[in-house]
Amino acid sequence: MILPPLSLYVHFPWCVAKCPYCDFNSHALRDALPESQYLEALERDLAFQGAQVGARRILSVFLGGGTPSLFSADAIARVLAAARRHLSIAADAEVTLEANPGTVERGRFAEYRAAGVNRVSLGGQSFDARQLQALGRIHSPLETQRAAAELHAAGLANFNIDLMYALPGQDAAAALSDIEQALALAPAHLSHYQLTIEAGTALAANPPALPSDDGAAQILEACQRRLCGAHFVRYEVSAYARAGFECQHNLNYWRFGDYLGVGAGAHGKISLGMDAGIVRTVQWREPRRYMSAAPVVQTRSRIATRDLPFEFMLNALRLVEGFEMESFEARTGLPWHTVADTVGRLVRRGLVEANGERYRATAHGLSFLNDALLAFLPERATTTELSAMSTAS
Amino acid sequence: MRLIRNFAIIAHVDHGKSTLADRFIQICGGLAAREMQDQVLDSMELERERGITIKAQSVTLFYKAADGERYQLNMIDTPGHVDFSYEVSRSLAACDGALLVVDATQGVEAQSVANCNTAIEQGLEVLPAINKIDLPSAEPERVAKEIEEIIGIEARDAIRVSAKTGQGVQELLERLIERIPPPKGDPAAPLQALIIDSWFDNYMGVVSLVRVVNGSLKLGDKIRVMSTGRSHGVDRLGRFTPKSIPEPLLATGDVGFVVAGIKEIDGAPVGDTITLENRPSALPLPGFKQIQPRVFAGLFPVDADDYEKFRDALAKLRLNDSALHYEPEVSGALGFGFRCGFLGLLHMDIVQERLEREYQLALVTSAPTVVYEVLHTNGEIELIDNPAKLPVVNEIEEIREPIIVANILVPPDYVGAVLKLCNDKRGAQKKLLYLANQVSLQYELPLAEVVLDFFDRLKSASRGYASFDYEFSHFRAAPLVKLDMLINGERVDALSLIVHRDTAYHRGRELVDKMHELIPRQMFEVAVQAAIGSAVIARATVKALRKNVLAKCYGGDITRKRKLLEKQKEGKKRMKQLGRVEIPQEAFLAVLQVGRKS
Repeated sequence: MILPPLSLYVHFPWCVAKCPYCDFNSHALRDALPESQYLEALERDLAFQGAQVGARRILSVFLGGGTPSLFSADAIARVLAAARRHLSIAADAEVTLEANPGTVERGRFAEYRAAGVNRVSLGGQSFDARQLQALGRIHSPLETQRAAAELHAAGLANFNIDLMYALPGQDAAAALSDIEQALALAPAHLSHYQLTIEAGTALAANPPALPSDDGAAQILEACQRRLCGAHFVRYEVSAYARAGFECQHNLNYWRFGDYLGVGAGAHGKISLGMDAGIVRTVQWREPRRYMSAAPVVQTRSRIATRDLPFEFMLNALRLVEGFEMESFEARTGLPWHTVADTVGRLVRRGLVEANGERYRATAHGLSFLNDALLAFLPERATTTELSAMSTAS
Repeated sequence: MRLIRNFAIIAHVDHGKSTLADRFIQICGGLAAREMQDQVLDSMELERERGITIKAQSVTLFYKAADGERYQLNMIDTPGHVDFSYEVSRSLAACDGALLVVDATQGVEAQSVANCNTAIEQGLEVLPAINKIDLPSAEPERVAKEIEEIIGIEARDAIRVSAKTGQGVQELLERLIERIPPPKGDPAAPLQALIIDSWFDNYMGVVSLVRVVNGSLKLGDKIRVMSTGRSHGVDRLGRFTPKSIPEPLLATGDVGFVVAGIKEIDGAPVGDTITLENRPSALPLPGFKQIQPRVFAGLFPVDADDYEKFRDALAKLRLNDSALHYEPEVSGALGFGFRCGFLGLLHMDIVQERLEREYQLALVTSAPTVVYEVLHTNGEIELIDNPAKLPVVNEIEEIREPIIVANILVPPDYVGAVLKLCNDKRGAQKKLLYLANQVSLQYELPLAEVVLDFFDRLKSASRGYASFDYEFSHFRAAPLVKLDMLINGERVDALSLIVHRDTAYHRGRELVDKMHELIPRQMFEVAVQAAIGSAVIARATVKALRKNVLAKCYGGDITRKRKLLEKQKEGKKRMKQLGRVEIPQEAFLAVLQVGRKS
């Protein structure tokens, strides 16, 4: 069996402040950043997890958060060097760093580039100062514009801007204005996703009045038309890129590839090959716990066979290109006939379309992806704990 | 036999019957103090939650009386809701007397009047007791007078008790022994035991509660169930005190349980007679009057695979709820299920809840309906218990609806409101009588109107003070029409209704609005229409949903996303697929909710 492509995700769990909509593993920084202590933990983690994947080639690296740009270029360089020591990272690997426009001083991006970063994802979110404030963002529209200029100056033209839509009180005109201002910064990639109130966040406790379902749909349609006119191709539910600038790292997630999850609260997915199945790894979520834990994979659990079709489709159907029948079999280890009937029903319902051996969500299906995914959801969630590997082995 | 007393307790809901039963058990030492749980007799979880008794239960108590003798008291608890009057007459058949419990603050209620009349008709001695005398608002004198006026039994010396504090309860037991006669019966005659109740136990099979009328029954006896003709060996005998206590023998006059390895669900039908195989009785005991269900609805499993399980569950329920009728039904909208007949809406509610709770079934119910009599143009008469089966208009000469006679007791302050309610419900007054403290009303009402929401509205019109009881009277022709619901142009058989012509437009409009509110937005537009024949009388459109997709999905934790989808899936499970449209279960019951506003 040929193992799927492998990526590396490294998590940086601190932010200047926790945004009220964010349900990621991020923690407001109260004291000084424990930079070197965290780097040591990452190195241990990389060594430990690196040993488990042997010589498998790493095709992309994503330094996400939290706010990785709170870390100095020197620190990022050390992380990447450690990654190269313990893993075999392809020479042309895409190396993305997430940056908050409010945390990067002048000249910082050039240093990051020198450290080995070749792509940046900028958390712009909106260009409306009031919206940014309501979203709890620490930066201004001007800072996003400055950061973009810096990126171009530093030779990092391959950058993404995150934008949210269906913000409180937003109409199509306001959302289009955000798109317009983002396009003016000439990014290579745009992530354009709807603000969702996630359980357990500050917004969920105190929910703002959001645009109606119809309102959100109108915004989306208007923005899609505009992006299309600017030669941005929608290649995933919420991702748009100029041709050739799709995010390789995220594509690997959506193609149900493998990834190592390094850092506090990081999730990984590793195919073991042969008939050993696929394992999910989760790291200690709390940074202090993560830094004091030695060696450091908190849990490994095997994805139950019955959950595999759902997990594959949850990702693969998000891609406009869809997937090949063969890739379903290769990535899940299951024969196509396990899902053939279900997929057939979705085709009849107009949610999925087939072209030779390639299947993908129809335009309608992309809007109603949840309805399609329900068909793959097994009756009850089941993951078998293999072992809790919090002690040395 | 001289020391046995078989009696039932007749009381309205909330008049303290179960509390009084508990007090008896306590005095007679049936349960240790730590085993006492409020209302020990209401054993079904559902009964305890709703504070009402659904099924009759029996308890044997041993009471050391003032005369020094040790009496065996077989107490049979009876349900107190109008839907369950049949259960009452069933329990009375096993008794020689009845204890009428009346709330000293509320007075006599119609249900108790009806049950007392049944008891008196069955030749039982009725012993009145006035309960809740510990309450400051108690008026025992007034209530005693009312018992005499309304029920017509001597009540001046009715015992005043408080089941709550225990006051007067001992005295009541003494009076009971004195007034209720011991059982009659011939110990030497061949065995005749009346099956009062049967239920299915997963370990023992069928367990039957019996009253030994003649002869006796011992362990190891070979018995014959007279209606089936099958014989079985007696494995276990005993009584409930209320704990089950094994006994080697049940003698003439005894009430107790029999387990005889009967595995088939209908092996010991309620009302049947048990006799001995080697010395059979020539004739069975007179059984119970077969009761006619008055309200029908289709019940369908949400998951078609549950059909067999559903049938099995109905058979088990029917074993000790002989008022429940069912036969297979196929609905275009809801698939394979059963047409079930109930005594009333509460009965329907309880059966559905028991099916869902005790048998883990998810069910969809079609709109409940009463039984109509249809006169065809060719002179044939047909009973229709399903609006979908109504013949086409030009084959109908007339439709006749069931009419009931309702007896209502209401304090004078609320008479006006109750009269108005009865008029709104197309009622015709037969009688109006001012008594000492209540007004007695008799009305003829269409059963369909009573089934809908009469009871709730009667309660609100009288601040809870009015009580009522009814019995079927006759069928009467009325201008009735069939109201259909169409979803995206398709007639939904399970939503059809038979309604009075004058209210059809209003009901149609309300129903469409209600469906519009209940049907969630889906991937496409859904048109909801109400029609009489081919004429659409109301319409609403459920707009299409624009999208349903997760905004973000990267490699991280998918637990939450999955939970969200699982919740969506769970929501869909409670819906029924009609073509492409998903209809929530509540929509099928919406028919009940419309027309409730006065």
